Amino acid sequence: MTRHLSSAEISKWIAGERNRRSEDHLSECAECRGELAHFQGRLSDFRAVVRAWSQEQSAAAPLPAWRMGRTHSSPRLRWALIAAAMVVLAAIPIYRASQPRPSSDHSLDDTVLLEQIDDGVSRSVPAPMEPLTTLVSWGSGAQDAPSQQKKK
Amino acid sequence: MEPVAASGFLTARFDSPAIELDDFDSVVRRYWPAVFRFALASVRDRDAARTLTQDCFIHAWRARGSFRGSCAVKTWVMRIAVNVVRDHARNRRLRFWRRTTREALDISSAGVQLPDGGISAEQRMLVSEKVRAVWAASGSLPERQRAVFLLRFVEDMDLLDIAAATGLKEGTVKIHLFRALQSVRERLGETK
Repeated sequence: MTRHLSSAEISKWIAGERNRRSEDHLSECAECRGELAHFQGRLSDFRAVVRAWSQEQSAAAPLPAWRMGRTHSSPRLRWALIAAAMVVLAAIPIYRASQPRPSSDHSLDDTVLLEQIDDGVSRSVPAPMEPLTTLVSWGSGAQDAPSQQKKK
Repeated sequence: MEPVAASGFLTARFDSPAIELDDFDSVVRRYWPAVFRFALASVRDRDAARTLTQDCFIHAWRARGSFRGSCAVKTWVMRIAVNVVRDHARNRRLRFWRRTTREALDISSAGVQLPDGGISAEQRMLVSEKVRAVWAASGSLPERQRAVFLLRFVEDMDLLDIAAATGLKEGTVKIHLFRALQSVRERLGETK
């Protein structure tokens, strides 16, 4: 019987790097076969546990609505939306420029109205009370001057 | 386009892998567990694994038009998954979060899921301990070795499929696998 397989040779065998010597030795050496089977058993246990654990974790985090993600992140749709937004932004000044300007009659009306308001605000008394103001200033008006001179 | 017969992944169910992609919802349902498992075992964070799995299928959806059927759909999907996980690992912005969350999720809670097989409680504990050691060892492997190790020993993919999924040559896959196995065996104290 040839010498036992080294640790590296066993790892190579499991990794798929097999040669004639290893094959021949394994066919006649129960000890090396046992060692190989033992490690392969460890890997099988590892696989079983990781799969079970992953399934458990997957159940806690179920399959999300991935369709939503793919729809929203579609580059074509994104570019189309950007292009549409740019067209709308570019159209706003053009639309405004194409609108007819307000006529001069309207501005004249506005001016007249503003003047009326200014007059109203600048009055010391309301218009209906204006005759009373002339009565109040009777004694101090220019018409009293001759009578005052007579008294003197 | 003929599928690669040697890859052997589920090709028996579909005459052409490209046809399988026509019903993309069923592709998602079929391969979601494998992609999620691979992502989870790689990043060891459930939320990140879920996000990466979703990213993987979004990438696959966008790239489905370029799939020519030169390999099985699972191999193609796993290739995308490998790239998505690799990009995640290289993303420096997430490094801090990866460090903090990695400690939060451990496989030890799954020890109870071991197949019974009439083993005693003592043996079960021993096996759980060994599984935890393999888990810890695989977590400390370099990124590419870990990917190859998980694809081979968790996803049960053959070397040609792993080569297609990782974009490596078959010989390189064997080298990565050998190094990963040596590291794991050293961790288990099974090296001579």
